[in-house]
Amino acid sequence: MGLRGSKPTFDDSSNVVYFIQIPLRGLRVPNLSPFPLKLETYLRMAKIPHESIMISTLSSKGKTPWIRHRGKDVADSQFCIEYLNKQFGVNLNEHLTKEQQAVSRAILKMVEENLYWVLVCYRWFFMNPKDMGLSQNIPSLIFAFIRRRVRKYANGQGMGRHSQEEIFHIGKLDLQALSNYLGEKKFLFGDQPSETDCSVFGMLAQFVFSNIESPHCALIKKEFPNLERYCHTMRNTFWPDWDQVLKGDASSTKL
Amino acid sequence: MRLTFGDTRLLALAAGAIAVGVVLFLNASRKQRKRKKLPYKDESDTVYVVQIPRGKKVPSPSPFPIKLETYLRIAKIPYENVFARKFSSKGKIPWIRHRGKDVPDSQFAIEYLNEQFNVDLEAHLTKEERAMSRAFLKMVEENLYWALACYRFIHDDVRKADYPSVIPTWALLLFGRRIKKYAWGQGMGRHSVEEIFHITKLDFEAISDYLGDKKFLFGDKPCVADCAVFGMLVQVVFNQTYSPHNALIKSEFPNLERFCWTMRNAFWPDWDQILAA
Repeated sequence: MGLRGSKPTFDDSSNVVYFIQIPLRGLRVPNLSPFPLKLETYLRMAKIPHESIMISTLSSKGKTPWIRHRGKDVADSQFCIEYLNKQFGVNLNEHLTKEQQAVSRAILKMVEENLYWVLVCYRWFFMNPKDMGLSQNIPSLIFAFIRRRVRKYANGQGMGRHSQEEIFHIGKLDLQALSNYLGEKKFLFGDQPSETDCSVFGMLAQFVFSNIESPHCALIKKEFPNLERYCHTMRNTFWPDWDQVLKGDASSTKL
Repeated sequence: MRLTFGDTRLLALAAGAIAVGVVLFLNASRKQRKRKKLPYKDESDTVYVVQIPRGKKVPSPSPFPIKLETYLRIAKIPYENVFARKFSSKGKIPWIRHRGKDVPDSQFAIEYLNEQFNVDLEAHLTKEERAMSRAFLKMVEENLYWALACYRFIHDDVRKADYPSVIPTWALLLFGRRIKKYAWGQGMGRHSVEEIFHITKLDFEAISDYLGDKKFLFGDKPCVADCAVFGMLVQVVFNQTYSPHNALIKSEFPNLERFCWTMRNAFWPDWDQILAA
């Protein structure tokens, strides 16, 4: 699995959105990376016709996922969403007040720029590599190589400079904030889901469904059970085919 | 090539000279380090805040010392600044020392001080407001921070950004190269100048929309998130006044400037007096 994979052929005359994600189909989640899961949940929520392609070609920014639509490549899940909102006249935040939209952005950033690094540090520094949740273990040499790069990134970002206990504590405070804000509500802002629900679900699903051995999963079950309830709500609503997706082969799925 | 006896003697002399030089250098640095020993009185209750020296336009060109100091002032915790380029055990600045204990990272420092001094700036908030406070804190420190850092260190000339003169230009430029590497790993550094400005605008908009007409983020009483937002926004509003971000705030989010003045007048009445001459 080289990271500079082959480029697939696209039909740039159609209106189909090609959704390209790295082939990290987990045993218990459709993708081990939270961002493809976020973007695909958005595509389903917004009912945008798309074709999912699992190949190892990264975006122009060196990340996953990215999309191609009418010959245009868009990198970064959030820029993809902004692009698609414009192209398809979608606004999943329409029902939110101005203050709620502001809170929505703050939660989005807390989850993607803070909690995300808690997840990354856990998986690459503290977790037993066998618990990655893939159908095949990552060879230890490749794991060590990737871990070195992740450590460089995490130290630069800041999270990597903290101890294991400190990182867990930071994660706990983020999860507590999510749990307290969600409360008894069905979705973050009430009975209707919104854009940020896609991101929060993409991230929480990693702890709740994939890394079930993690102390974060135990913490959620014990202290923030509404987050687990929320993950099931999102999964049942937007991924009724979750089990089929996990069992199915890793090639394109049409929706 | 065969070494003659003369060559060997010369090599031995050179090695000896280098060894002596190294020992003299290490001894001199040790003496210098001893002279630069920081003035802590560990038996007192004073909190020592170690940070880089003051700027001419803002108390610090970094948002985190301003966040920390603002918190200390709101909480009325007695503190003393130690202006030095001494980095914490995590390689960052600011950090605090209290009763002989060093606590790096501004947020861990605040949590430590909350416990030590029985302070809770969020006591008046509901559970949901506390959650939102955390979200805004993280958006500002883990997203907006990187967007503004990319502007300051990569897109613009960092020498304009009110760093104290004790920090030489080469050190600033070197730090800028490091920020560029860090920003790539963090993610922000992979976006274009326009994309980063767009991200900054969305963050400003969120803070502005949530603040609205309120005095502070959550009403009439400030909390830790206000300190973090203030520390970050003063860099745009008072420090880098030439930046497009400053123009953006003035034209589209004037309540953010109003907020900065409110915080400054309330908790930094000595602002003008403490700035570097």
